[in-house]
Amino acid sequence: MFTAFDVSTSGLVAQRTRLNAISSNLANMSTTRNEYGEPEAYRPRYVTFQTDTGIETSGGGAGVRVASVDQSTEPPNMKYQPGHPDADQHGFVAYPAVDMTTEFVDALEATRAYEANIGVIEITKDLGAQTLRIIA
Amino acid sequence: MAPDIFRSSTLPVLEQVVNFSQARHGVLAGNIANLDTPGYKTRDLSPELFQENLKQAIEDSRRPASAGQAGAASGGGGKDRFDSIAKVKDSLKSILRHDGVDVSLEHQIAEISKNHAQHNLAVNLMSTQFRQLRSAISERQV
Repeated sequence: MFTAFDVSTSGLVAQRTRLNAISSNLANMSTTRNEYGEPEAYRPRYVTFQTDTGIETSGGGAGVRVASVDQSTEPPNMKYQPGHPDADQHGFVAYPAVDMTTEFVDALEATRAYEANIGVIEITKDLGAQTLRIIA
Repeated sequence: MAPDIFRSSTLPVLEQVVNFSQARHGVLAGNIANLDTPGYKTRDLSPELFQENLKQAIEDSRRPASAGQAGAASGGGGKDRFDSIAKVKDSLKSILRHDGVDVSLEHQIAEISKNHAQHNLAVNLMSTQFRQLRSAISERQV
């Protein structure tokens, strides 16, 4: 019965990780240098989920976990800015391939999924409370 | 015999309903947790199969073992009745995996709410029955 809490919690953790990656992508949408200060466009991170059979309810419901956080392989957006300090020899600056619309839609979806898991936790709590009512 | 008090009521049936809805709740919670998992197949326990098994078990328990021996073997008959209800447990393990990757959030929420309502209905009926037993034992209205 109480494993349902763990299943929903795994969903919360996974969606929160995804939201963190989205925040990072949006925060770095104009980053043209890597962590060593060299000119290199930030690569967006994408979180992949995987069913976690380590968390399994008696009925066969399974949890979820973050399988990996991968960097996008999409080429950066090249913008002609000859005066920019990070411009290459042809005058192009590499900007991260972050699509703001996609990131916002993903963020909304992650938020809704997070809320759905919260809703399920509320129902699980009520199931437990109702079951205990049998004794009273 | 004290256990016969419980066996002659609908308590064993309600117990199975509560067991089933709790097991199904866990499965549906897993579906919602895996909302964004690539390749995840929606899982469910079949309420139809459960209800079919439950109906069968109730019919089995109502049928007297034999018309002539019904009075003679009343003690054993009570045990059989309990066992036939307990058989329903098998359907708690019967998981269906749907094809199709997409988990419909609306559908899953509706299912989990229905399951929730069914669980609470069964628990309320059980509470009422226990209250009635208590008034019978204490010989007064509660």
